[in-house]
Amino acid sequence: MNVLRPGSVREALGMLADEPTAIPLAGGTDLLVHWPANHAGRDATYLDLGRPGELRAHHWTDKALVLGGTTTYWDVIRDPRSARDLPLLVDAARQVGSVQIQARGTWAGNIANGSPAADGVPVLMAYDAVVVVQSERGVEEILLSEFYLGYKDMRLAGDQLIREIRVPLAARTGQRFEKVGSRRAQAIAKVGLATSHSEDGWRVVAASLAPTVRRCPSVEALFDSDGAAGSVEDVEAALAADVSPIDDIRSTAEYRLRVAARLLFFGNA
Amino acid sequence: MHPEELLRKQAETAPDPGAAEALAPHDLSRLGRRSRRVDGHRKSTGSEIYTDDIVLPGMLHGKILRSPHPHARIVAIDTSDAEAIPGVQSVITGRDMPLAYGIIPWTRDEHALAFDKVRFVGDAVAAVAAVDEDTANEALTRIRVEYEILPPLFEPEEALEASGNPIHEAKKEGRNGNITKHVHLEFGDVDEAMAGSDVTVEGEYYFHGTTHTPIEPHCAVARRNVNGLLEVWSSTQVPHYLQRELARVLDLDVAEVRVVQPAVGGAFGGKSEPFDLEFAVALLAMRTGRPVKILYTREELFYSHRGRHPMDMSYRVGATADGRIRAVDGKLLLDGGAYASFGLVTAYYSGQLLMAPYDVETYRFDATRVYTNKPPCGPKRGHGSVQPRFGFEVSLDKLAEKLGIDPIELRRRNFMGLGRTVNEFRVQSNGFMECLDKVEHASDWKNRYGRLPRGHGLGVAGSCYISGTNYPIYPNDMPQASAQVQIERSGRVTVLHGASEIGQGSDSTMAYIACEELGVPVEYVRVVSADTDLTPVDLGAYSSRETLMVGNAVMMACRELGTKVRASVATATGVGAEQVRLANGWALAGGERMPIARAFMLAEAEHGTLGAVGHYNTPKEGVHGDYRGGTIGASPAYSFTAHVAEVEVDEHTGFVNVRKIWVAHDCGRALNPMLVEGQMEGSAYMGFAEAVMEHQRVKRGTPEGGLHDAPSLLDYRIPTSLDCPEFIPLIVEANDPEGPYGAKEAGEGPLHPSLPAIANAIFDAVGVRIDRLPFTPDRVWRALQAARADAAPESESG
Ligand SMILES: Cc1cc2nc3c(=O)[nH]c(=O)nc-3n(C[C@H](O)[C@H](O)[C@H](O)COP(=O)(O)OP(=O)(O)OC[C@H]3O[C@@H](n4cnc5c(N)ncnc54)[C@H](O)[C@@H]3O)c2cc1C
Repeated sequence: MNVLRPGSVREALGMLADEPTAIPLAGGTDLLVHWPANHAGRDATYLDLGRPGELRAHHWTDKALVLGGTTTYWDVIRDPRSARDLPLLVDAARQVGSVQIQARGTWAGNIANGSPAADGVPVLMAYDAVVVVQSERGVEEILLSEFYLGYKDMRLAGDQLIREIRVPLAARTGQRFEKVGSRRAQAIAKVGLATSHSEDGWRVVAASLAPTVRRCPSVEALFDSDGAAGSVEDVEAALAADVSPIDDIRSTAEYRLRVAARLLFFGNA
Repeated sequence: MHPEELLRKQAETAPDPGAAEALAPHDLSRLGRRSRRVDGHRKSTGSEIYTDDIVLPGMLHGKILRSPHPHARIVAIDTSDAEAIPGVQSVITGRDMPLAYGIIPWTRDEHALAFDKVRFVGDAVAAVAAVDEDTANEALTRIRVEYEILPPLFEPEEALEASGNPIHEAKKEGRNGNITKHVHLEFGDVDEAMAGSDVTVEGEYYFHGTTHTPIEPHCAVARRNVNGLLEVWSSTQVPHYLQRELARVLDLDVAEVRVVQPAVGGAFGGKSEPFDLEFAVALLAMRTGRPVKILYTREELFYSHRGRHPMDMSYRVGATADGRIRAVDGKLLLDGGAYASFGLVTAYYSGQLLMAPYDVETYRFDATRVYTNKPPCGPKRGHGSVQPRFGFEVSLDKLAEKLGIDPIELRRRNFMGLGRTVNEFRVQSNGFMECLDKVEHASDWKNRYGRLPRGHGLGVAGSCYISGTNYPIYPNDMPQASAQVQIERSGRVTVLHGASEIGQGSDSTMAYIACEELGVPVEYVRVVSADTDLTPVDLGAYSSRETLMVGNAVMMACRELGTKVRASVATATGVGAEQVRLANGWALAGGERMPIARAFMLAEAEHGTLGAVGHYNTPKEGVHGDYRGGTIGASPAYSFTAHVAEVEVDEHTGFVNVRKIWVAHDCGRALNPMLVEGQMEGSAYMGFAEAVMEHQRVKRGTPEGGLHDAPSLLDYRIPTSLDCPEFIPLIVEANDPEGPYGAKEAGEGPLHPSLPAIANAIFDAVGVRIDRLPFTPDRVWRALQAARADAAPESESG
């Protein structure tokens, strides 16, 4: 096992350019869950992102909250402005694992881990967040809703780091985050939903209902067309067109779809 | 320090006891108070020593290779590559320990490491000791095992039908090797009473299987010292049985084996028999001459299992028009997994423990335990009787509904009181009526049952459990529990006893008893427990036996010493010995008082060194019937419980929100009500989780058949504090003549009604009976859908 410990973002990007198979390590709360149990499995290079302070800090501009590449859930929970201006971030952050996980886990790690059941990703997506990725080749800005290509597949090359996540501020008239887990903490979502409404229309984002966290254009269109959808069956039909839930150990496809449709209908009606 | 100096110092710090006469006996008693645990500080500050905290010089780390197949013959094992890895010190396989073992001497069907066959995914095949865990893990990947794959049996119904490849060879020709045990018992003429009943209710019930999930994984450390003594530290709850089995399997003299049980981080029955790791560390330590440690991974815990059996149950209950139970007919199929474990007992318990607290005219049960190629089941808190209690108490609810009788009233009408159960167990104390009264009152049952808005409901259930088993696992006439107490002239009292402190508080309870009898403050008591070299024999922490049995032994030893101390104080002060009290750090004699240490010094001067032993053995006369199997399930005393659960059912999501549980439990005398409440709470929460969250199951089909579907704490769902319902404990004290000060048990009984109370509350909330556990959202939601579909045609026609 080899560990690289850059002191700055510039140094980190240099190391990644030299060794693009190196694995960035932020809070480690995803990586360590899958930590190999023997030497051979760990025969890899890790790039520890713990040192560059510039990567950790978040800041507010007049248009957005800018999260750093290692900003944690706890950093956002602790900032009083978050609950006021972007309340879903706090709602979701408080649902992640436990306090210990919230203190170590990062927003960028949640995005790069690419789990379809992530809690941080849906609220960021419902807020039209932009992922800023950087390498020695340059900087790229990608809308989070266009970031994923398939299950655990995303627009992030080996030499790139998530440098920032920009979350636009807007006047929002409705916003909700719902997580149906198998218990009230320390659970992975069976169904996750983030919705928001602004002058740009509805954003409806589903987690655990498709190979990636994704927006639901049919449901958004339905909501946009008549403000409140006519019936729960309409919502279910629209949602069925947007997602492709599966049966697994946590739930069944049928249950996921039914429950998600009901949460959307009764939550936003 | 000069004795007078010591006494002066103690007198300054000891609390003023007041004059003996002025105080009611209660004020002087240590018992019945909400006392601190003796290990509380150590545990809450993280300074307690658990097995994994033990690090010995030169210690090696072991790992166990496990079968990837649910059912296969071992053709060959090649360990040469693993042995060649630098840092690997020893590799062992089943051939090195060929003797079969098993906790029940009549069903020894396991090997420390699989001998010729593997019977579930996770069966241990080989073990390695190396300089560190990584090297040991590496070595596991280099062991080559050639398997001949056999068809697996996952469903108990399939196992019932004899197949070409039984999981275990039949002991007798022509029998089905897949059957561990079949029990059929009938009390009275069930068919006649059933036929003569005014009403009958029937149902098929299913319990799904759950595991213990202690916070501390199993861990064992072994060392063979130069004199030949084998020492094993293990997170076990049965040090005595472990000592015997280690000696048997390793072919050692029992006197050369010492088992020490350090602090245990939860067990719940999951550590009540020997496990592969204990044999493996012992043999590896013997082979290498160095200490060896093995700590299970969380995943290994889910495979080693020994948890609650899945059960298919059918019950038919017949009653008179006014609700008196005339006949109960039960048929049970127990899915035992790969090995017998305690299965012979489980099969009996599944029928035998059901009949109190009710007066039942006739009873029959037919229980079969089969092997399947899954992690072995065993005893889990409320061994064998939680599942049938679910089926039976739901049956009673159906009976109440059918007869239009309030379910609490129905249970009252069938109260057995004292005397004999239909299967002839002797009950000498019974607080069940008071339990019913308490939960009825506290939950405002009369005003709320059947009257809450749709989606909200209340349910009740009752139960009974044992305070220890009347007979030990291997037949013998020696005491079941014993203790030794020493008094030191500083005032310190040392209690040596064999009971296994597994978090339930047995060390504390023994300390309180010493305080009660000898008048010392709890800080003066040292408890030394569960070390086969130092402490007298106890059989272990199972079947809720410690308070009653070891408590009696400690009380006996302390009483002998107390008598001597009081006599010496009487002589010194000139009052009668019967007027001397020992309490709260003082000896009180008439109007005089002296620090307890002075009293001990007087006694030591008069009688010599102060030490005494005590023991307890169960009564053998008149406690059970003399039919075959009549001893299994017999206990010196029985505890009783009633629950009321309040639930809210979300019909959109199927989510059952258990809002509140009222638990009334008759534990006999509550020696420390805080510990009793802790056990009631732990039981109720465990039962609640088994009802609505937990599910131990393996995958089906190839190639993943036999794999646990969620061997982690993330997806095997035990509740967090946020999930747990509000809990109201209501202690009932019907003292039993067999118990120390009347105490019975609180560790397992209060779990039983959890599941049926919740099931019955769901029915009150939404009018749907769900007779198959668990009540997870998907299943409840589907049941609600099905009920709606069933109801639809009717409502159209009506
Ligand atoms: C007990 C427990 C409970 C959990 N509960 C939840 C939950 O409820 N909801 C939930 O969504 N998640 C949960 N998680 C998962 C995890 O905590 C989150 O996904 C977290 O956000 C990951 O962040 P991290 O910094 O720890 O990531 P790491 O483990 O450090 O990294 C995760 C991935 O992101 C990559 N990465 C990290 N930072 C960057 C970067 N700046 N640029 C490029 N790649 C990067 C890593 O290479 C890796 O592939 C839980 C985890 C645990 C252990």
